[in-house]
Parts: sequence; C-alpha cells; structure tokens
Amino acid sequence: MRRSHRARLTRRTLAGVALALLVGGCGGDTVPVPGREGAVKSAAAVRAERRAYDGAPPTIPHENFGARCTACHDAQGQSVTGVGFAPASPHDDTPRAGGTIRCRQCHVFVTTGESFVRSEYEPLEQDLRRGGRATPGAPPTIPHRTLMRENCVACHDGPGAREEIRTGHPERSRCRQCHVPVTGRETFDSELGDGVTEGRE
Amino acid sequence: MKRRKFLETLGASAAGVAAFSCADREEAVRIGAQGVSDADLTWSKAPCRYCGTGCGVEVGVKEGRVVTVRGDVKSPVNRGLLCVKGYHLPGMLYGEDRLEYPMLRDGSGWKRISWDEALDLIASKYQEALDQHGPESVAIYGSGQWTVFDGYAASKWFRGGLRSNNVEPNARLCMASAVTGFMTQFQSDEPMGCYEDFEAGDDFVMWGNNMAEMHPVLFSRILANKRENPGVRIIDIATRRTPTTDYADMYVEFTPGSDLALANGILHLLLRNGQVDNAFVRENVIFKRGIEDLNRIGYGCWGEDGLATDHTAGPAEHYGFRDQARDSSLAELERFLRDYTPERVSEISGVPAGQIHQLAELYGDRGRGTVSLWCMGVNQHSRGTWMNNLITDLHLITGKISRPGANPFSLTGQPSACGTVREVGTLAHRLPADMVVMNAEHRAKAEEIWGLPAGTIPPRPGYHTMDMFRAFMRGDVKVMWTQTTNPWVSIPNLNRIRREPGDGKFLVVSDIYPTPSTEVADLVLPSAAWVEREGVFGNSERRTQHWHKAVEPPGEATEDAWQMIQVAKRMGMGHLFPWPEDDWHEPMYEEYRSFTLGLGKDVASYQQLKETRGMLWPVVNGVETRYRYAAGYDPYVTKRRGVHFYKAKGYGEKAAFWLRPYHPPAESPDEEYPFWLCTGRVLEHWHTGSMTRRVKQLYQAAPEGYVELNRADAQRLSVGSGQMVRVVSRRGSLELPAEVDGRGKPPQGSVFIPFFDESRMPNVLTLDAMDNISKEPDYKKCAVRIERV
Repeated sequence: MRRSHRARLTRRTLAGVALALLVGGCGGDTVPVPGREGAVKSAAAVRAERRAYDGAPPTIPHENFGARCTACHDAQGQSVTGVGFAPASPHDDTPRAGGTIRCRQCHVFVTTGESFVRSEYEPLEQDLRRGGRATPGAPPTIPHRTLMRENCVACHDGPGAREEIRTGHPERSRCRQCHVPVTGRETFDSELGDGVTEGRE
Repeated sequence: MKRRKFLETLGASAAGVAAFSCADREEAVRIGAQGVSDADLTWSKAPCRYCGTGCGVEVGVKEGRVVTVRGDVKSPVNRGLLCVKGYHLPGMLYGEDRLEYPMLRDGSGWKRISWDEALDLIASKYQEALDQHGPESVAIYGSGQWTVFDGYAASKWFRGGLRSNNVEPNARLCMASAVTGFMTQFQSDEPMGCYEDFEAGDDFVMWGNNMAEMHPVLFSRILANKRENPGVRIIDIATRRTPTTDYADMYVEFTPGSDLALANGILHLLLRNGQVDNAFVRENVIFKRGIEDLNRIGYGCWGEDGLATDHTAGPAEHYGFRDQARDSSLAELERFLRDYTPERVSEISGVPAGQIHQLAELYGDRGRGTVSLWCMGVNQHSRGTWMNNLITDLHLITGKISRPGANPFSLTGQPSACGTVREVGTLAHRLPADMVVMNAEHRAKAEEIWGLPAGTIPPRPGYHTMDMFRAFMRGDVKVMWTQTTNPWVSIPNLNRIRREPGDGKFLVVSDIYPTPSTEVADLVLPSAAWVEREGVFGNSERRTQHWHKAVEPPGEATEDAWQMIQVAKRMGMGHLFPWPEDDWHEPMYEEYRSFTLGLGKDVASYQQLKETRGMLWPVVNGVETRYRYAAGYDPYVTKRRGVHFYKAKGYGEKAAFWLRPYHPPAESPDEEYPFWLCTGRVLEHWHTGSMTRRVKQLYQAAPEGYVELNRADAQRLSVGSGQMVRVVSRRGSLELPAEVDGRGKPPQGSVFIPFFDESRMPNVLTLDAMDNISKEPDYKKCAVRIERV
C-alpha cells in the first residue's frame, strides 16, 4: 500500500517548521546555478538536484564540449575559461587512467527538462549529518560511504569544495590514516551470516 | 506518521544541525532533514533487471519502497560498479502509470475487472480455441526477462498441459543464432568461458558489438585490464563508429553482411600461413558442411515459403528451412577457402587487405590470448548461425578455446536469455538442459519428471516467433498471451502485424506499464516487477542468480508465473503445479534442477543460490565451473590436460568446425533506396524503453529517437542535427530528427536508428528477413532512402 501524499506533506511540513525554529534564518553558502545567470542555490540543493538519490552518480551539469572528460577533470581539477571550476574526479583511478576509463558509463548529460511520465519515485534523501568523534579532539569519522570515491580532496579541497566540508589541512595527503568510515557494514554478507536481509514473503 | 518516530527524526536532525552551513540548513528544512542513514534501510541482493551481464545490485528498501541501490562489491560480475541504467533502477518501479489492475477492453475504452474474472476469461478462451481448432491455435510469447519460474511454468503448462509447443520468447529476436551456433558446434548451448576472460585475455575482438554502450560494466573490466597491461588490444570490427571505437586499438569497418567474407578471409590466411594448431585440431575437431545454395535457403521474408531471394515474390507466410549436415575435412576446407583471398574479401567487405592480414596475425599468434565477443550484430543476421560458426571456427582452428583468456564469448542482451530461454528451454523446440521436443528420449525424460503419460508432449516444434505472429495475423493462432515483452514495438516489419482488436482473436498482455502492445490487447494484466517478487535469472557467463522479494507490487499486480499457474488450475491442469500456494518457488526450481543434474548442465541448489552471488554451472558438489570442457576446471573432463568436448556425443565428443560461405544480405541499397539502415540500442535505454524512459535521468539523457547520418550525407541533403528527415523503406516511412557526429558515426551511405522510442519505431522500416537456421530476424540490414521534411 502506498502512503498518501497528504501524509507525507504534513510530516515534512512539521519537521520543516520544527527545524526552522531551531536553526533560524540565514543567508550563507550558495553556489551559482549553471546555465542560469545570477541564480544561486544552496550547495546541498544543487547536489540533490544532480542525483537520483543520495549515492547515485551525478548527471553532468554542463553541455557536451566534445572533449575527453579527463582533459578538465584531472587529478587536481582546474579552472576552465568561460565555464567555471572543473573539480577533480573523486575516483582514484581516473587521473592515471588516461584513455582507458569510460566516465559516461555512469554520468550522462541532461538534454531536456521534461519527463516521459511523472515519477512517483521517492529517493533516499541526502544525509547531511556530520561524522562523530570518538573523543573530543579526535579526528572526525567519515559519515558517508567511500565506495569508488577514494580521492577525498576532489570534494574536500579546492575551489570546488563546499566551504563547510573543506579540509583545513590539504597538505596531509593520506586522509584515511586518521579518518575512518563508520557507516556500519559496507555490504551485507550472507555467507558469513552478518546480516543478509531476507525479503518479506 | 507515528509521534515517536517524528520525535526521533527531529532529534536526529537537531543533533546534525551543527554541521550545516546556512544554505544547507535551508535545504535541510525544505527536505525535512530526516537524516536518513543505513540504519533506516533494509538491504537485499538482486541481479540487475536489465541486460545479460547480470550485475549484482544491493537494493535499499525504506518503508516498503525501493529508495536506493548500490553496486554489490561482493558480486564477481561487477565488483561494486554499475552502469547508468543500473544506478537508476529504483525509478523504474515508480512511473505514475504503473498497471495495477486487470483491465478488459470495453468498446473503445477499458474496464477494471477482478483477477477471478480475468483468469476465468483467459482459461475459457484457451479452452474454446483448443476445442475448436486444436493445440496449434493457442500460443504464449514470453521473453528473456521471464524468470526461471515464469519460463518453467509456461513450458510445463503448454507442452505438458495444453499439449502445444507454441511457447516462444522474444529471445528468438535476440540470441537464437547463438543457440544454434553453440548447438551445431558443441551439441550443448552456451559459452565455455566466463567473465574472468576479460582479465585473462590479451586481445579482445568485437564483432559488430558496441560493448561500451551495451555491456558497459564488462567493457570496463576490459578497460581495467588494458590499464594494468598496456599491451592489451581492443579490435572493433563494425559497420559504424560508436563509443566502443573511441577505446579501440584498431577499427575495422566492413560493408554490412560481409563479416561472413571477412571471417573466411582470416581463415584463409591462417591456413596459408601455417597457423593451424594441427595437434589440437586432430584431437578435438571434426569438419562439417551444410546446404549453401542460396535458392534453396532464401531469406524467410519473400515467397510463400520464404525461399525467394527478392521482394517481387511478395511477403512470406512460413519459413521452415532445415539445414542438412554432411562430413567435411581439413583438405576440403583448404579448397573451400581458396575463394577467400585477402584481395577478394577486401572487394566484398571494403576492409583493406592489410587489416585482414593483421587480424589473421592476431588470431594466429599462439602467444596471445584472444577473446572474440559478439552480440546483436552477429546474431541478428540473415546468416547469423553461420557467423556464430565462423567466429568459433577461428578459435577451433587455432586451439584458442576453453582456457582462461582464449574463448569465443557470446554476450546476451536480456537478464535471463540464458537462464530461462536457453536453460529452461522456452524456444518452440526446446526442453530443459539442451533437450528438444523432436527427440523421443528427451520427451520421455520430461514426461517422466513431470509425471505425465507417455506421448503427452507433441513431437513437432511450435511456431518460431516470426511465423507465430504471421499465424496470429492470419488467424491460425486464435489466442495469444504475451508477458514481459513489447512485440508491437520490437517485431521487424511492424506494418505486417498491425492489429485492430475485435478481429475474432484474443490477445492477453501482461506488463508493468502501458505500451503499444497493451494498446492492441483485449485483456491487460498488471505484473509484479523485479524485486516485487522472488526470482532467478541466468546471465551470459552461465551464472544462475537468485533474489528475494523485497517490496510489495503496486495495486493488484502479481508475478507472471502465478498468472499462468492460476489459469492452468482453472483448466484442470493443477497437477502440473502441485506445490503449496505460499511456498512454490523452491520446489518448482528443484524440480527444474533435476533435469540438469549429471549432464554437465547442473545448476546450483536453491539453498546455494540464496547464499551466494550466483553460481556458474555446471555446479558439481557445490563447486562451480569457470571453464567448460577444460581439464582442471570442468569436473566432467577426466583428462589431465587439454580439452574434452564431452557434450558432443554425435560428433565423437569433438567440436564441429563448419564451412560456411558468404551470402549477400536479403536487401541491399540500390538507386531507389540508396542507404543501409541499421537499428539498435543506446546506453541509457533498455530495448523498447518501456522501463528506462520512465526514469527521469535516463529519459533526460536520451529523450527521443533520431537517425544518425554521416556528415557528408547530411551536407548533401542539407540537413543538420535536430532537423527532421523522413526515412523511407519498401515497407514504411518514419519522420525523426537527424543526428550528425553524435555518439555514433555511420559511414557514408549508412544510417542508424535506435529503437527505444515507441513514438518513432524503426521497425516500420525493417525487413522480416531471418537467419536460415535460427529463424532470428535481421534488424541490421535493409535499404532506405532519406528525404528532407
């Protein structure tokens, strides 16, 4: 049985109001919206817009320039005249892969704003909580999965990085020496019996 | 929402507040900031719903709905990686127009009816046809997306209950030529290698196969191999440039249909250069030759019996050509190949002689592992079985077979084309585990396992797909049921099967969304999709994979197998499905499995499938087989070294090398229709697009059909990308936008149209010519002209 839209809306509104009371209004960290001169949105909103769900590969936010992706999205990222900052790829093997990686297997262009039929899909929403610390002063843990995103600085350093997740010590290149993921199991494992989820019947 | 849950959510949000920037805070307020984490999700495993690769997917469920997926890092197929279709699987389930209730045609509209009414109606329609017109007047047309359960239920019900072999899958349109290829050479279907070939091989030769778009995750495995080992080479043998070409070390462009000549040209040079592995051939190979006379074979599309060779003979109604084998020899092969000098092959194919020499050197180099890969370019070919034979011949003559990194490897396009169509046997002539209805012993074995009286299963194969639809239009088939497929988009020469309901026949269509096929149905049934039900698929590398039901289907949708079983019960055939209503999957699977044991086709036990990321058959004592026929890998091989083609009892347990000539395509460009038309798929959409077009990101990446034109042709016609053109063939015409220098670049005189867009169906143009042996139609070659609109 599907939940009704009304119930969902009510719940969201309630949560929203409660949260708004807690945090109050503010201006703050925004990013320009590609293709819309002068428009700005919150970084999180832009991030959500480009993904089907939290964890989905983002769509490509610019037009097809006909160039190889890694020409701009290299190991450090670079400023591209007239376009903006092309962030580094978060995937470890991208920079050294040269012509032997196919980015567009997962990342596709957006060529229209329309849809074939309306979708009732409700995605897994963004997890905006921060990682914890074992003790005060301990390095914070990694609050998200790192699968295939080994190059931490792609998101956590440089002009492409959102301010609040930008590292204060980019010179220390081995991030995971101190920061460890705590998302629980990376995957279920039925052979070892550590939590295969039997479907309901 | 329960109050306590709300408070918990709020608590989680409040705790996270310190992490937010201001703008993010606003965003968090907008979305409710529930702070979803893994802890709120239930995960289960499943193979991907789409192609034959069979990637492992972890499915994340929250409050009864699929909200996320991720690549399963423990799946040996994809090791955590997916393609853009796979990453966007959840959206596929939730298009707003999901079919939720049985709907019966009511004048020009539809009326909702109950399942009881629907099932009673189907049973009475089938019974009436059986009583009045016999078992050949009923049919079921399923697909390579049928689970093992769906296919097994259909085959058992039809052959053992209705006593009709009119069971067919859309896989006839997809990999039937690979089946006949493997069967004619090894007397057992499916490849000997596995995906580990992609790391073990040195040279990857793609025959008419745009792997970068069609099997992206497997292509990435080859790219990873190339990254680690720069000597690895990719050879793209094709009729147009595609994203695969961007990664190729060598691009070999041939005239459509001339791959037959090219393969023979390579064989010619291998023999001439002394690169035959004589010891291997002596020990393991015999030589065969079939009927080669064009006038005895035809193309299946013209003349009453399909044997005519040009369109003036009018459309065909039946095509039943049967090949006849005779013994041949290496000496005869040498004489046969004299016609295929590099010069002559170059003339036929347009491939420079130098490239033919390079290809021969590559196949002949004993120091390098060669993997040949093919999919629709070779299978959807008016001589597709021949082409399958010739590619495998290249491996047999050089001994590059049944060892890691050296194999002919047929890729499949549907998730259970192998597991269901080929292994369970849902082609009109097949039974489980390589058995066929024409063989009395095979029928007897099936009747014994099914507990049926001897003589129940009819010995004559039913209609193959193309003849089945022709028979339905003629009225010889009165009642047809289609499941998990969209024939009114995917059958070639669509204008031949235009249907107005109320024509005295009865068409039932089970699907998950409305399609052009449901539009012409008399009764539409809502099906459960993918993880809305329990299932088993079998992928391209012989891997059988199981998944649990993870969410409820919408409305009153039910699984396809259940629908068939309920109709069978209403027709007094409940004895075929004697299992409890709430626990029939495992016993049904284990009954099916009993067909496979001891034959080298042994699928894994249900329990083992539940516990693993799938198992490669044959599975003996719980151990899978990575390389069939290979000593040290295959438990059925008792030799200490080398290979043993033990399934080929009729060939003295050797593999058959087939001598196969070049034949021209059924229709080639001429003055009136000067362009070749090829049709196919794109990365973002799966087949007719009924699932993937409902996913926002996939639709927005590739919203509509188009025709790829060569730049020079476009300039001559004065059209640019986005401008509408009309494509016209002898069978129909279609208006669609041109695309120049897009992802695919056909050579001059060639155009390509993808078939995912139901509003721009290239099958109104295509020809219903088919392979002489497999009866698989050729979607890759016909003649069209282009007009400016």
